[in-house]
Amino acid sequence: MALPLTPIWFIALPLLLAFLAPLWARLRLLLPLLFGAQVVLLALAAALVPAVRQAPLLETIVIAPPLGIHLHLDAVALLLVTLFHGAAALLALFVWLDEGVAHLRGPRPFVLLLLLVAGCDGMVLTGDLFNLYVFLEIAGVTAYALSALHRDRAGLEAGLKYVVIGSVAAVFFLFAVVLIYLQTGQLNIAAVAADFAAIPAPMQVLIGLSLLVGLGIKAELFPFNFWVPDIYQGSDPAVASLFSGVLVKAFLFVLFHLAFLLLADPRVAQVWLMGLGAATLLVAETVALRQPDLRRMLAYSSLGQIGLIALALGFTSEATTAGALFHMVNHTLAKLLLFLVAGLLIRRAASARLEALTGLGRQMPLAAGLFVLASLSVLGLPPLAGFASKLWILTGFAEAQVFWPIALILFGALLEAGYYFRWVKALYATGDAPVARGPAPAPARSAYLPLLLIAALLLLLGAAPFLLEADLVGAAQALLDRAATIEGVLGAQP
Amino acid sequence: MTALVKLLFLAASLSPAATLLVWDGALAWPLFGDVTLLFDLAPLSAFFLLLVALGAPLAAIPMLRDDAEWPTYALYALLLVGMQVLLLAGDFIGLFVGWEIMTWSSYLLLLRSPRTTLATAQSYILLNLLSAFALLGGILVYYSLTGGFAIQAVADLGPWQGLALIGPLALAFLIKVGTVPLHLWVPCSYDEAPDTFSAVLSALLSKMGIYGLILLLTLLPGGLAGGLSGGLGGLYGHLLDGPAAGYVLGWIGVITSIVATFKAIAQEDMKRLLAYSSIAQVGYITTAIGVGSSLAIGGALFHALVHTLIKLLLFTTIAGIVLRTGLRSFKDLGRLIYRMPISFFGVLIGIIGLAGMPPLPGFASKYLIFVSLIDARWLLLLAAMILSSTAAFLYCYRLIYAPFLGHANSPQARTATEAPWQYLVPEVVLMGLLVALGLFPGLGVRLFVDPVLTALGLTPLGSPSWGELATPYGGYDGVVVMAVFGGAFVVVTSLFFLLRGRMRQAASPYDLSYAGEVPDETTPLHYGAGMGRELRRIPLVAWILGHSTQGLYAGLVRQTQAAAGLLAGLYSGRPQVWILLAVLVFAAALTVQLLAGGI
Amino acid sequence: MLDLLDSPGMVHTIYVLGSMALFSIGLYGLLARRHLIKIFIAIAIMELSVYLLFIALATSPGETAPILADGLTRFAGMADPVPQALTLTAIVIGMAVLAFGVTLAIHYHRLTGIRDIDAMTELKD
Repeated sequence: MALPLTPIWFIALPLLLAFLAPLWARLRLLLPLLFGAQVVLLALAAALVPAVRQAPLLETIVIAPPLGIHLHLDAVALLLVTLFHGAAALLALFVWLDEGVAHLRGPRPFVLLLLLVAGCDGMVLTGDLFNLYVFLEIAGVTAYALSALHRDRAGLEAGLKYVVIGSVAAVFFLFAVVLIYLQTGQLNIAAVAADFAAIPAPMQVLIGLSLLVGLGIKAELFPFNFWVPDIYQGSDPAVASLFSGVLVKAFLFVLFHLAFLLLADPRVAQVWLMGLGAATLLVAETVALRQPDLRRMLAYSSLGQIGLIALALGFTSEATTAGALFHMVNHTLAKLLLFLVAGLLIRRAASARLEALTGLGRQMPLAAGLFVLASLSVLGLPPLAGFASKLWILTGFAEAQVFWPIALILFGALLEAGYYFRWVKALYATGDAPVARGPAPAPARSAYLPLLLIAALLLLLGAAPFLLEADLVGAAQALLDRAATIEGVLGAQP
Repeated sequence: MTALVKLLFLAASLSPAATLLVWDGALAWPLFGDVTLLFDLAPLSAFFLLLVALGAPLAAIPMLRDDAEWPTYALYALLLVGMQVLLLAGDFIGLFVGWEIMTWSSYLLLLRSPRTTLATAQSYILLNLLSAFALLGGILVYYSLTGGFAIQAVADLGPWQGLALIGPLALAFLIKVGTVPLHLWVPCSYDEAPDTFSAVLSALLSKMGIYGLILLLTLLPGGLAGGLSGGLGGLYGHLLDGPAAGYVLGWIGVITSIVATFKAIAQEDMKRLLAYSSIAQVGYITTAIGVGSSLAIGGALFHALVHTLIKLLLFTTIAGIVLRTGLRSFKDLGRLIYRMPISFFGVLIGIIGLAGMPPLPGFASKYLIFVSLIDARWLLLLAAMILSSTAAFLYCYRLIYAPFLGHANSPQARTATEAPWQYLVPEVVLMGLLVALGLFPGLGVRLFVDPVLTALGLTPLGSPSWGELATPYGGYDGVVVMAVFGGAFVVVTSLFFLLRGRMRQAASPYDLSYAGEVPDETTPLHYGAGMGRELRRIPLVAWILGHSTQGLYAGLVRQTQAAAGLLAGLYSGRPQVWILLAVLVFAAALTVQLLAGGI
Repeated sequence: MLDLLDSPGMVHTIYVLGSMALFSIGLYGLLARRHLIKIFIAIAIMELSVYLLFIALATSPGETAPILADGLTRFAGMADPVPQALTLTAIVIGMAVLAFGVTLAIHYHRLTGIRDIDAMTELKD
């Protein structure tokens, strides 16, 4: 029997595997399956590329939209899904090969990791608002559980804080969904988008702001992102890499997707989202300057990059959007690398403080070298991938003759250099003999394999960004073309 | 294994030379959209590539001596790649890529030294990244003006557009050149870098800023070829016989050289002195670029060539001294002339060139620059430059006197041996090159300078013979001058050796007394220690020596840190505060929006 | 007089006011209480207010439950089934999150003896 290649597998396969976890645990297949599933889904995404390039795929479940629920796989969704599974595959490979992350190797993290990816896929793919809420909660709950995976003080505290703030975000989002349904009688996103302009203006404002707060908290935009450093600090670095690399990207996509679809006038979205993006960028990069804790520093840096992406996406020009999507990809890869290397360094030093990590680069040259490489990519220095995407964004702004975001982005990069290079200098510092290190031995050589793979990807995308160009431009067009999306969904109605 | 790595490293250091010789035809590498990297070798970049091709292997040979591991070699190779990309780039993105690779690889090389402090590392990378990001900003302005990245003259430019374009680019290049007040990173990084790497920083990296400045002039409508009607003169009018905007650049250069020269005199550390002297020398070049005439650009290029050779020579020699004695301070050294004679000649030749005295080519290049200033009737600038150029004699004297002559002030200085061959080979080669260039300045102009001038659309300087350097205001013959000076040198040296026996009668250096005190072994008799102190009595010089830009930058850092601390208060770690803030923002935005909506 | 109370507009207004009151109580509890369990209760109350709003405003007085049985064979006069289905789902999700949060709180209390949200200070700069 030939299984049909449909987008539903992106959600179904992880769920199926997750529910059968006890079986796999008995068979000692957890780690290979975790990795294998992601690779299979990556292959599926690759197989779907030609079809999606022709036209977006609509996968209807039971009844056709706008009444039924459907999955909507267009170029941008495919790009993100590919990114998620790529990142998850790399992380799974790391967990498989590195025996040091013991608490990530049991059946519980197996289930949670699969569910997290399924939730993120669902958020990106679904064409239904309430479905979106469900996936948002699936991803949310697994994220709370993942950050509390370590049942120690820091882990539990992170989990608790995350539950509280995440629940508040969910209430705001649910409130917006309820209002939308009451006003339009629709839950299909495309149908809601078509009717949104008919809602009275004050109600539009209320809905819009509720969505902004709900998704803004989840997508880590400025006045709503105060929780982020705590959660990233308390979670395992490998888990934090997934938060920064996958989860936030999914929420950010949802926020912008909804904003672009619902608002007929892109200027409204421009003012709000660019403003929030700029504030996020500036505040996060400044605060990071004084961080003495590696995980918090990376969290702030992640916020800064999110701000940059929001700033570029909010501008709604094709070049900046394509660049921003590219930057999403690069940031995911770089942060994955940074957090995983940070995990190795922290385990060796038994601390994440700057003082404790001083001079560690001489003991772990490969790890430190990878850290430097990923930092260079985050800073946007050639020849790494971060440079190509930042350049793309900047040329987009220059083309439109808008210069304040350029100045802001360059200033932000300078601040970012201020703290990244402080850490680089500390890693390579000489002087005091290293103080008592933890008993942890050096990680196995094979653990570096996925890390080197990421580094190679960063170099490749930096030197040859044209490899992804067609897909990125297609994705940007799909994200920005409101009319085509609405027509594509509603036109499919029998 | 080690031998193989070193061999590979040497091969890599020859890569700029190979590129220079073998390169033909253009190369294009698409990135995305209409951004394509174009690589081609223009005469201007060929000149600077020649500097790199000369300097890279000569600076690499001493590195073989270090027990340097492969990271140093790899980073140096990467640095060379960066500089080649920068110079070959026919478009601004390629230039920027090269610029950045150069920046971060040199930063990582700087970290290889155990002496590098956090402050030095941060000032190096942050100022250089500021330069890089200013460059990128300027490039984006250029892109929005022309719709492309290819480096070519802008067709039409108003004064304000010109400022928006020139401002960031000039900032970028002036930081790299290290002009006052953007020079903070230069002395500390040249000082604390690995000893063999300082030569590269001073001789090669600073030249990239010069390349950028000349490139900047070619961008303007009419470029350099338009003379006073084109370029800076066309945009902002003239002053006397030169471009008014160039006058500003000229003063930036001269003030830089005056400040740096006096700072150099007051240094206690050999490498720091060389760093300041490097700033001063590059300041002359900056001034010349400001003038922008054929003579001036010719002088600037020639001086760039000479300065590369001199600084390679001096830094390598000083590195040899540091290697053998472990000391870098003037007050600890002395009397090394007997222990390190070849190094002595290295420094001697180096300082003669540095001071711009005949017969070495430093004179030829400075002469060209002076003449160009006279030609533009910028006599005040000329006077200021002569002041700094004359004051440079003092630090040059100190550089030869303190380590080599006088009284040895430490046991290490008494027992040092000559530097190893890895240091001596490049030194001897560089001395030979300098003497040859001093003999045949006309040949140097014809071979290296004139092709560039022709390509830039300027009148070539030309020269009647190999030895003769000709300008509209007269010239000189290098062979004759060298013969005279060489003759005098031989006479004086032979007299010295003839009379040596009698001069030895002075007996012990402690055989003297002043104010009733008889010095013993512990009394420092070396003049090197206190030299330059008395300069503080001169008003202007005292002001220069008493002030530094360090406070300004420290204040900037403090303010930023304070802002960071203030904003960090928002990330309080208390969930209820987060929620309260979110709800307040929600309520405030809702109110504002509803009120603005007029409901 | 009392008929006025039965008009859909009036009923909806009362429900909206009630829902707002519940939301405010929840928000107050969330911001002013420091006991972890009480905070979760407050969140549950806030969620409840949203459910109430949804069900109440999607239904008008006189509509029956959307179930075809006991002689009801036509969809006329019935409430919209979608909000009810959605609210049920949302309640289940909210319940799960609440249970998870409380579990974490209990674990945390057992480990550290802390139940005050402001005393959680392990994670900071």
